[in-house]
Amino acid sequence: MTPTVLSTLGVGRKARVLDVGGDAQLQQRLLEFGILPGVEVRLVRVAPLGDPIEIEVLGYNLSLRKNEAAHVHIEALP
Amino acid sequence: MTEARPAGESTRNLRRDKHVVALLGNPNTGKSTLFTALTGTRQKIANYPGVTVEAKVGHMQFENTELTVIDLPGTYSLAARSPDERVATEALLGRLDETPKPDGVILVVDASSLDRNLYLATQVLEFGLPSVIALTMVDVAKTRGITIDLEKLSRAIGCPVVAVNAPKGEGLHELKATLHKRLHHPAAPLSLEFPPEFVSAVDALHLKLADLGVTLGYTPTRPEALRLIVDAAGPLFEEAHEAGGSAFDEEFSKLRTQACGGKSAALIEAQARYGRISAWTREARTQEKIEGRTLTDRVDSILTHRLWGTLVFILVMGVIFQSIYTWASPLMDLIESGTKWVGDLVGSNMADGPLKGLIVDGVIGGAGGVLVFLPQILILFLFIAILEDLGYMSRAAFLMDRLMSRFGLTGRSFIPLLSSFACAIPGIMGARVIEDRNTRLTTIFLAPFMSCSARLPVYTVMIAAFVPDQKVLGFVSVQGLTLFAMYWVGVLAAIPTAIVLKKGILKSKITPFLLELPSYKMPRPKAIALTLFEKGGAFVKRAGTIILAVSVIVWALSYFPHSQEITDKWESEREKSSYPLKTGSKLVGEFGVGIYTFEAAAKLPEFQKALAEYKLIGVRYSERIAQIEGELEEGQREREIARAGEIRAEAYTGLQRDLGRYKFLAISEYADAEIWRDERLAEIDSAEAGEHLRNSYMGRMGRTIEPAVKPLGWDWRIAMAAIASFPAREVVIGTLGTIFNLSDADETSEPLRETLQKAKREGSDEKLFSLATGLSVMVFFALCCQCAATLAVMRRETNSWRWPLASFLYMTTLAYFGALVTYQIAHALGG
Ligand SMILES: Nc1nc2c(ncn2[C@@H]2O[C@H](COP(=O)(O)OP(=O)(O)O)[C@@H](O)[C@H]2O)c(=O)[nH]1
Ligand SMILES: [Mg+2]
Repeated sequence: MTPTVLSTLGVGRKARVLDVGGDAQLQQRLLEFGILPGVEVRLVRVAPLGDPIEIEVLGYNLSLRKNEAAHVHIEALP
Repeated sequence: MTEARPAGESTRNLRRDKHVVALLGNPNTGKSTLFTALTGTRQKIANYPGVTVEAKVGHMQFENTELTVIDLPGTYSLAARSPDERVATEALLGRLDETPKPDGVILVVDASSLDRNLYLATQVLEFGLPSVIALTMVDVAKTRGITIDLEKLSRAIGCPVVAVNAPKGEGLHELKATLHKRLHHPAAPLSLEFPPEFVSAVDALHLKLADLGVTLGYTPTRPEALRLIVDAAGPLFEEAHEAGGSAFDEEFSKLRTQACGGKSAALIEAQARYGRISAWTREARTQEKIEGRTLTDRVDSILTHRLWGTLVFILVMGVIFQSIYTWASPLMDLIESGTKWVGDLVGSNMADGPLKGLIVDGVIGGAGGVLVFLPQILILFLFIAILEDLGYMSRAAFLMDRLMSRFGLTGRSFIPLLSSFACAIPGIMGARVIEDRNTRLTTIFLAPFMSCSARLPVYTVMIAAFVPDQKVLGFVSVQGLTLFAMYWVGVLAAIPTAIVLKKGILKSKITPFLLELPSYKMPRPKAIALTLFEKGGAFVKRAGTIILAVSVIVWALSYFPHSQEITDKWESEREKSSYPLKTGSKLVGEFGVGIYTFEAAAKLPEFQKALAEYKLIGVRYSERIAQIEGELEEGQREREIARAGEIRAEAYTGLQRDLGRYKFLAISEYADAEIWRDERLAEIDSAEAGEHLRNSYMGRMGRTIEPAVKPLGWDWRIAMAAIASFPAREVVIGTLGTIFNLSDADETSEPLRETLQKAKREGSDEKLFSLATGLSVMVFFALCCQCAATLAVMRRETNSWRWPLASFLYMTTLAYFGALVTYQIAHALGG
C-alpha cells in the first residue's frame, strides 16, 4: 500500500498510522488522543460542508479538521 | 521515587480521618453524575481566578471517615497546554488556594473507550496518590460487545477497579468501601518503561529541581519533572526559569535533547503510555464481533447527513430561537409587571422625595432589569443542557465548524452566537464550551453584536413612527424589511471584527479542532434541573450586583440636583390650575344668599348633588360610546352614536329643567373647570419631570455632548436617552417618553410614537425626527453595547475588566460612525 495522509482517506476505508507530524502542540494532542504509529483508524464520515472529518480510533469517534488530518501519515488498508 | 512530602501528609491525615479526594477523568465520562451520586446536591462551586473552568466541592461520609470530594474539569491529559487545562494538574498537586490538596483520587474511566481513558490514568497513577478507578459506561461497552474483567484489569494496573453506574446508583457502596481501604493502604506509584536516556534525563532534572526547591518554596515531584521535559511549558517551567536563571535554562535544554535523542518527546511519552495500556487491555478486555452498526452510528448517519442532518440542525436551532422568544415573553411580562407592582406598593407607602426615587426606580427597577433576563437564560440553558446531555452539541459543532472557521472561529462558537440573538448573556456564558482561549474570547466579544431581544422595542417604536407603511414589489413590507436589515447590521459588523481579532491580538497559536463525538445518551431531568438552578443563581448573583449599582448611579445622575427652585415654580403652577375652581362666577349666586364663589358653592349639598348628576350623564355617554365601538361594525356605529348623543342632550335638558337655567350653567362651568384643572395637572407633572431631567447631571451631559451627536441628526434629548439607557438599552423607550414630557410611555403606546413624530427641535419649528434620524437611532442601538448586564457577565467570564471595556468602547465607536453614515446618507437622499 502506498503511504498517504489521513485527510485523503475515503469514507469507510481503514488505514494504519505511520507517523504523526504537525507543530508540537498539534502533534501532542493527536498522540494523546491515541493517533500514534501502528494504530488502526477508519474514516467514518465527512461533515456536510466538506470539513471536518470523523474517524474511529481505539474504539471511539473523533472529529478533526482536514488540515490537521493532513499531518497524520498513513498506509491505507484493504 | 516516593515523595517525602505527600507521604508525610497522608499519614497525618490518616489520624484525623478526614480526607480530600479528587474526581478526575476525560470529559463526558460520567464524573459529574458520579459526583452528585456520591455527595448529593449540596455542592459548592470553586472558581479559579484567571481561568473559566471551575470545580465543584461536595462532602460525603463513609463509616467514620469524612470525605471532601472535588469534581475537577474533564481533561484528556495532564499536559500543560493552556491555563484552563493546567487547573486539573495544579489542583491535583494542591497548589491552588481555592480547593484543598487531595490525598486520594477517583479516576473516572469510560469502559467504552478504555484505551484513551487510561491514558490520563497512567499520568495520574505516576503521582502515587492512593487511587481507585471507577469504571463507568460498562453498559454502553456491553452493547458494543466489550467485556472487561475487573479482576484482571485491576491486577494488571495495580490499582483497584470498581464498576459503577451512577445514573442507576449501582456500585457506589463498593466504590466507597474500596476508596476507604485504599486511603489507609496507599500503593507505590506507577512506573512505565521509558527509554533509558529519557529516564536518566528526567532523574537529572528532578535532582536539579530539588536544588531549586528552596527558591521555589516546594519540592517538585518526579512526575512533574517528566511533564517538564515533555511539555517545556507550564507554571513550573516559568517558576524554575525564574528561580534558576539562564544556568537552569541551559541545563534544561541539554537534558531535553539528551532525553529525546532527536525524537519528539511527546511521541516517546505517548508510546510508553499506550504501550503499557495495550498490555493491560490485552489481558482484561474481550471484544466480541457485533453484527450491524451501533445505535449512535445509525443516528449519526441521519443527524450528520448532508441533507437530513442540515434540516434537523436548522429545525433544532429554529425551535431554540423561537422558544427563547415566545416562551420567555410571558414570563418576562410577569416579571416586569411584578416589579412594577412591588415598586407601586413600596412607592405608595413612601413620601415623595429622593429616597423614594432611589428605592423605587433605582433599586427595585434595577433588580427587575436583571431578573427580566432570567427566563431567556434559563430557557436557553435548558436546551443547551438537554442537547449537551444527549450528545448533540458536539454534532452541531461538527456540522458548523467549516462555516465558522472562515471567520477564525470553531463549530463550538455557533450556538453561543445564535443564542445571543435572544440575549447576549447566556451566549457569553455558553462560550465556556470553547476550549481554545482566544477563540472563546473572540466569541464572547462578538456575542453583543447579535441583535438581542432587548433591542426589539427600540426598533419597533422607531419603525412604527418613521418608516412608511408601504410595500415594495407588491408584497414586501418596508417596515419588515427595515427590521430584517437591523438584524443584519450587527452580523455584518461582527464578521470583519472576528477576522481582524483572530488575525491580530487574538491569534491562536493553534486551534486543534480535535473533538470527541461521544455516543448518544438519554438526558437526565434531575441533572438538568440542577444545572439550571446553578446557572440561574450564578447569573442573578454576579450580574445582579453590578447592574444594580449601575442602575442606581444612572438614576442618581438623572435625579440630582433636583433643584428646589424648579419644584417651587411648578408647585405654584399647580395652585394656579385650581383658581377657576375657587374664584367664582356670577351664576353661583343662584345657589343661595352670600354665595359668591365656586369654593363656597361646592360645599353645599345641593351643588354637590347636582354636580354628581351632571357628571353621571357624561360618564354614561362615554361608556355607551365605548360599548358601541367595541361591539358594532363600522357602518352601524353612526346611528347608535347619534342616538347616544340625543339621549345625553335629553338628560341635560331634563337636569336644566329641574335646576333652572342659571344653576345648570354654573354646574357645567364648574365641571369644565375641573376637567381643565386635571389636564393641566398632568401637563405640569410631566413638564416638571422634563425640566428636572433637563437640569439633572444627565441632562447636562446630554447637552454637553449635543454638538458631537448633531451630525447623527440627534439633539441633547436623544443623546441623554442614549446615555441613560446604558444599564439596559430597552430603557431608552421609557427615557425618551420622560424626556419628551410624557409621564408613562411604553413601547406599544400610541402617544409615544406620536410625540416622537411631533417633537420639534428646540427653539425652532423643524421636526426633530425624520426617517433619517429614526434610522440613525436604530443603527446606533443595533451596534452599541448598552447593556450593563452583558458587560458584567463579560467581566466575570474573562476575569478582567479589559474585555468589557474594550467591547464597550469599540462598539460605541462603531455605533457612532454607523449612525453617522446612516444619517448623512439617508438625509442626503431626502429622508
Ligand atoms: N449508560 C450510562 N450512562 C452514563 C453512565 N454514567 C454517566 N452516564 C451518562 O453520561 C453522560 C455524561 O455524564 P456527566 O456526568 O455529565 O459527565 P462528565 O462530563 O464527565 O461530568 C450523562 O448523560 C450521564 O447520564 C453509565 O455508567 N452508563
Ligand atoms: Mg461534568
